[in-house]
Amino acid sequence: MATTTEGTAAAGSKPFDIVATYNELLRSDPDITMPIAAIEALVHVLTHSPSSTISETLDLLEKSTAHLKRSIPNPIGLSAGTDLFQRYLITTLQRPGQLGPAGDFKAIRTHLLSNGRLFIRRAKESRQKIAAFGRGFIRDGCTVLTNGGSRAVASLLQKAADEEGGPSAVRFRVIYVLSSISQNIEEPSGEPEGMETVRALRAKGVPVSTIPESAVAYALGKADMVIVGAEGVVENGGIVSRMGTYQIGLLAKAIGKPFYVVAESHKFVRLFPLGQYDLPIEQHVVDFKSADDIAEDKKKQQNPSGDANGDKPIELPLSDSVDFTPPHLISALITDSGVLTPSAVSEELIKIWF
Amino acid sequence: MPSTSLALTPGLGSFLKSLKTHPVETSIENLISLLKRRQIRHSRSCATATAYLLRHVVSVCKTSDPLKLIERVQTVGRRLVAAQPREMVVGNVVRRVLGLIRDEAEDDHEAEFALSEAGSESQPQTPRAFDDPSPSLPLDRDMLSLRAEGAERSSSRPTLHSMFSLLSHPEAEFSPISTPGTQSPNGRMPGHGPGKDVKAEVLEGIGEIIDELGQVDDQIASYALEHIHSNEIILTHTSSTTVQKFLVKAATKRKFTVIHAESFPNNHEATHATVSGNPLDDDENLSTEAFQKPLIALGITVILIPDSAVFALMSRVNKVILGTHSVLANGGLVAAAGTRVIARAAKVHQTPVVVVSGVYKLSPVYPFDFDSLIEYGDASKVLPYEDGDLVDQIDVQNPIYDYVPAELVDLYITNLGGHAPSYLYRIVSDHYRKEDISF
Repeated sequence: MATTTEGTAAAGSKPFDIVATYNELLRSDPDITMPIAAIEALVHVLTHSPSSTISETLDLLEKSTAHLKRSIPNPIGLSAGTDLFQRYLITTLQRPGQLGPAGDFKAIRTHLLSNGRLFIRRAKESRQKIAAFGRGFIRDGCTVLTNGGSRAVASLLQKAADEEGGPSAVRFRVIYVLSSISQNIEEPSGEPEGMETVRALRAKGVPVSTIPESAVAYALGKADMVIVGAEGVVENGGIVSRMGTYQIGLLAKAIGKPFYVVAESHKFVRLFPLGQYDLPIEQHVVDFKSADDIAEDKKKQQNPSGDANGDKPIELPLSDSVDFTPPHLISALITDSGVLTPSAVSEELIKIWF
Repeated sequence: MPSTSLALTPGLGSFLKSLKTHPVETSIENLISLLKRRQIRHSRSCATATAYLLRHVVSVCKTSDPLKLIERVQTVGRRLVAAQPREMVVGNVVRRVLGLIRDEAEDDHEAEFALSEAGSESQPQTPRAFDDPSPSLPLDRDMLSLRAEGAERSSSRPTLHSMFSLLSHPEAEFSPISTPGTQSPNGRMPGHGPGKDVKAEVLEGIGEIIDELGQVDDQIASYALEHIHSNEIILTHTSSTTVQKFLVKAATKRKFTVIHAESFPNNHEATHATVSGNPLDDDENLSTEAFQKPLIALGITVILIPDSAVFALMSRVNKVILGTHSVLANGGLVAAAGTRVIARAAKVHQTPVVVVSGVYKLSPVYPFDFDSLIEYGDASKVLPYEDGDLVDQIDVQNPIYDYVPAELVDLYITNLGGHAPSYLYRIVSDHYRKEDISF
């Protein structure tokens, strides 16, 4: 994306570029989530700076976080990671103990710097934990409807499918809702998100049916439950997720099927959206245009020298657009700290913030 | 408490009696078979039997190492739960006891920690203050202190299971709580002094649980006047001691009308008995509580209706008060068959539904599969075997329980007060330790 590279250029004066690191982390490891990539990026920031005092470090973190958030079109997921990192630092410093105020600041610094790999491993393990918690939901003979490319959902379904050492593999079927908008901008005719999971499940002997988004209401009658992933879980227990999740939630509620969300607890983010249009991102899903506007757009496209946005937040491409599913549509959240009701999310957040 | 004279028919009374004379292993087997044969049923009887058994198990346990105690209670608990998985209170009591042992072990640890750290700060923490709630206190105070204890606990282990676990130090030595098991053997002094203490206090704690089981209904009833107002029409269902006490308490001050659905075919006899005040002889519930003045004696109009009339009458009802078999972590409940119909009808008429339940019925188990929670009973109650010709040709089902989803319930009243269904998870996390949820 042109805008991202520009953000990179702006930060080019600095010896270390957090945005590039963040993007590189996401690209290099397909299993990594946005919050974890953000935490990793912050760890790299600390490594590259010689800060030795607490306030210097916190200030540096704050600045890098703000810069990172400005340069990424959808900062909801990553802000969960940066918040968690910052709160962890502050809380550990306040707590008595070896890493506390009496102790050496260097101790906590080295802990954070040397254990970056560990965090990533834990984050991946948490997916396994979720799969263990969530396994109980998938019963013999049931049909699960799911969407998007959530890795947590994929690992949950695969775990249920290859429970070979266990009592017996669960025989279940999956209805996979595939997005009509291709994920890859470079090749618009490429396969939609989630096909990889579909193939993996089919290889494990799970019958999978793929349906377009328009067939959700039709297919929901055959499903026993809906399981979706989330990009971020907000304070009231609602989720920010791939565009199309909200309507599945509404339909599931209307038809009376349970709607479960699978999310790692590091995706909990301190955000309280009141509705669809209250998210801190810029996306033009609903874009009114008259013939004149289209003509003007075309002209702009032909000579794109015009106003490259300076301070304006970066627009989210249509393929990455998200919506907000309010908590009353969610039956339960399957997280690595157990199966939670939506109202329990705020408490987890309160625990780290206050 | 255990004052049943019926020693002949196996049940709670006979079990509690035999507990004193028989060795532990026999008692465990005894309770398992009683649970399997359904000779002990009803949440409270099961809970009481489990609590007494565990007290016995802990008291004869030779070791006083909390680790071993936990292991022992876990194995016994697993067998009991396996015997009757649908009686979720059994698991709840086992979890409470496990939590008790863990708490005591940690307090011990904390105290040692505090001792070693003594002098550094004026008063870092007062863990001992919660350890010995004087037994002479009235129970209400006791409960309060228990609650305070719970709150204190949850705040005193700030980052244990929170989102921070992602970033925490691998050898988190500053949070001994997370791994009391692995810490305690090497962390503790070789002397067995504190260990002995643990066992005594665990026994005391189990005693408190037993006390709580005995007094739960009265505590719930004390909230009755806040919820039942004059001239209201209350609808209730089947015979539940908790509901009955609740209504009787309100009837001492207020005049209202009770519509009682009879819950045919599983519990209608008991319901009739409750309404008329003639207790059944074979009531295997603890007898002391079954004998009370019926509502009619207090001047309350009681209307007994068949279950089919619930919807028709719902438009006139001001409030539905229901008892329950167990409450699940998501706020849903498993209650006598017919409850869901009533809750649904109440929803249609926008009538508030209040569920009264002791905290001991609150289970941390998430209902993965609703169907597995439903127990099926004697089909001959629906179609008597005298109709021999039909019995072969018809499939008769007689579910004993219903699953009622959380959104059909407006308020839960427990012995701790009134709660919204969405708040129940908090009470669950106050009462059970995370590590014990699937023991």
